[in-house]
Amino acid sequence: MFLRLAERSLLNRKGSVILTVLAMSVSVFVLLGVEHMREQTKESFRGTVSGVDLIVGARTGSLNLLLYSVFRMGSPTNNIDWNSYQQIASSSKVAWAIPISLGDSHKGFRVMGTTTDYFKHFSYGKKYSLQFSEGKPFDGVFDVVLGSKVAKKLDYSLGDRIVLAHGLGQTSFSLHDDRPFRVVGILEATGTPVDQAVHVSLQGIEAIHIDWTQGVKMPGSKITTEQLLAQELTPKSITAFMLGLTSSMATFRVQRDINQYRKEPLTAILPGVALAELWQMMGVMENTLRLVSSLVFIAALLGLSAMMLASIREREHEIHLLRVVGASPVFIFLLIEMEAMLISLVSILIGAGSLYSALLLAEGFLSSSFGLHIGTSILSETNLMFMGLVVVATLLAAALPSFFAYKTAKSG
Amino acid sequence: MAIELSNLSFSYGTSLEKPLLDIPEWSVGDGEQVFIHGPSGSGKSTLLNLLSGILTPNKGCVSVMGQSLGDLSSRQRDRFRANHVGYIFQQFNLIPYLDAIDNVRLAIHFSKKSTNSDSSADIKALLATFDINESHWEKPVSTLSIGQQQRIAIARAMINKPELLIADEPTSSLDQKNRDIFMGELLELVKRQKTSLLFVSHDMSLASYFNRVDALSDINQAGGRA
Repeated sequence: MFLRLAERSLLNRKGSVILTVLAMSVSVFVLLGVEHMREQTKESFRGTVSGVDLIVGARTGSLNLLLYSVFRMGSPTNNIDWNSYQQIASSSKVAWAIPISLGDSHKGFRVMGTTTDYFKHFSYGKKYSLQFSEGKPFDGVFDVVLGSKVAKKLDYSLGDRIVLAHGLGQTSFSLHDDRPFRVVGILEATGTPVDQAVHVSLQGIEAIHIDWTQGVKMPGSKITTEQLLAQELTPKSITAFMLGLTSSMATFRVQRDINQYRKEPLTAILPGVALAELWQMMGVMENTLRLVSSLVFIAALLGLSAMMLASIREREHEIHLLRVVGASPVFIFLLIEMEAMLISLVSILIGAGSLYSALLLAEGFLSSSFGLHIGTSILSETNLMFMGLVVVATLLAAALPSFFAYKTAKSG
Repeated sequence: MAIELSNLSFSYGTSLEKPLLDIPEWSVGDGEQVFIHGPSGSGKSTLLNLLSGILTPNKGCVSVMGQSLGDLSSRQRDRFRANHVGYIFQQFNLIPYLDAIDNVRLAIHFSKKSTNSDSSADIKALLATFDINESHWEKPVSTLSIGQQQRIAIARAMINKPELLIADEPTSSLDQKNRDIFMGELLELVKRQKTSLLFVSHDMSLASYFNRVDALSDINQAGGRA
């Protein structure tokens, strides 16, 4: 009877109740949506690199190393000697090593020289390895593998010839136009910086710079491509490298050894730790989003409280009647609270439901256009807690109108 | 005795020097039908709220069916009211958004401790005796005519077989013809069920239906506040 009374009373005031439910639903949508996106981006961000135990570069700060080696932002401070790389990579504790050589670009996308081990060992997210949507890893010196976004944005397909530019500018004037590359593979979208990289072999990097000195193409010195391919093309230096260890127990040992490497100053970082550090720097943005969504929610709660309070004035006769029939003032108090709770439950259902459908609709679009993999499982522990919090907050916000009704009931 | 008041004094707020009601002695016998008249603002509604236990007097004793209301907790008073006192008003007799059956069921809900929920049969039987067409049982009462609403209100008031029925200007919203029908039915009902009736109105023309007619100004010593 109690529930029926609350339900009928709400249905009787459809107009104002529906508007309140809509306002609450929107706020629940924002609240849960922000929280969900936050968790998902965090997860996807933290999953930018996985399965890599250490990243090694020339002595620098850990964030700087992470930024240029993984996110390909900023510039490396110095290079690593090829011999140092080989010495560390051949250690018994190292299972695999991926060298990285940066410094060139193609129409704003950075070129990364590496080995085919990169496609074998590099993983992201929950240890997903790189997949080819078309083609295969590079094999020849002038083969190139494109990240999904590069291929999509520049509309490249297998077999296309592209020219790399020296330096990182979007409009570089020094092109390696004498040595064009051929697209042999395109990677699947990953939602990580991999999508925006142009991958070539270390030999390729070496080949296009062979007749360059001090960053300038030497006029006159002309080595033919045939001559080039006959050479061994071993790089003298690389920018950084990633290590997979035989046992992750050894991570800290190896890290210390590298940091104390005698022949040149090196820095080794744990990518997970550095990623977490970097994420923390974005904490301000996170908290701002949370603050805004909770303000939206508070505004909706105030709306609910105002609506309920106004309704009590209209319902004085009804309250008196209930009293006369035998209802206690506490019953009246609980009735108003019950109505508020029904509103919040319906709002949670609508808010969460529309968030779910919105994610379902946007899922394909987000992953193909932005490489953002946002899951649709919004019922995370945090979000369930948030829903509980919404109900509790609603009960608190309705306490004032409920108390008002209680007083009305008490005075007859 | 159905109602006994002694040394009753009541005022809103704390000004005890000038009470709204001051009734040294007044009573209604079992099965008696009493008409009380007085202009609006003379404290009629307040008196009724005191009798039903919604308000409590500042001083003195209110006793209904031999039970002194002052001896009960507020929760017990609510239950006592649900079980022993029926109430009919001028308007807002019914919760407008509930149907006839739910309105009557509401009265059962607050009465005896554990009524089996299968009271629907009783309710329907009662509605039928009050001449409410079956097609109107499950419509929101706000869609029914005033006359029908008043009859459902009596059904609601009588479902728990109260010993005392209080009627607060129940006829003001009815026209002459409906008023006569209503009064006839009401008086016939309370006589049949041996229910005491306290009928409050400012309309003296209704006094002819009653044997006993009291003016509130005669009972209430506070007087002169009309």
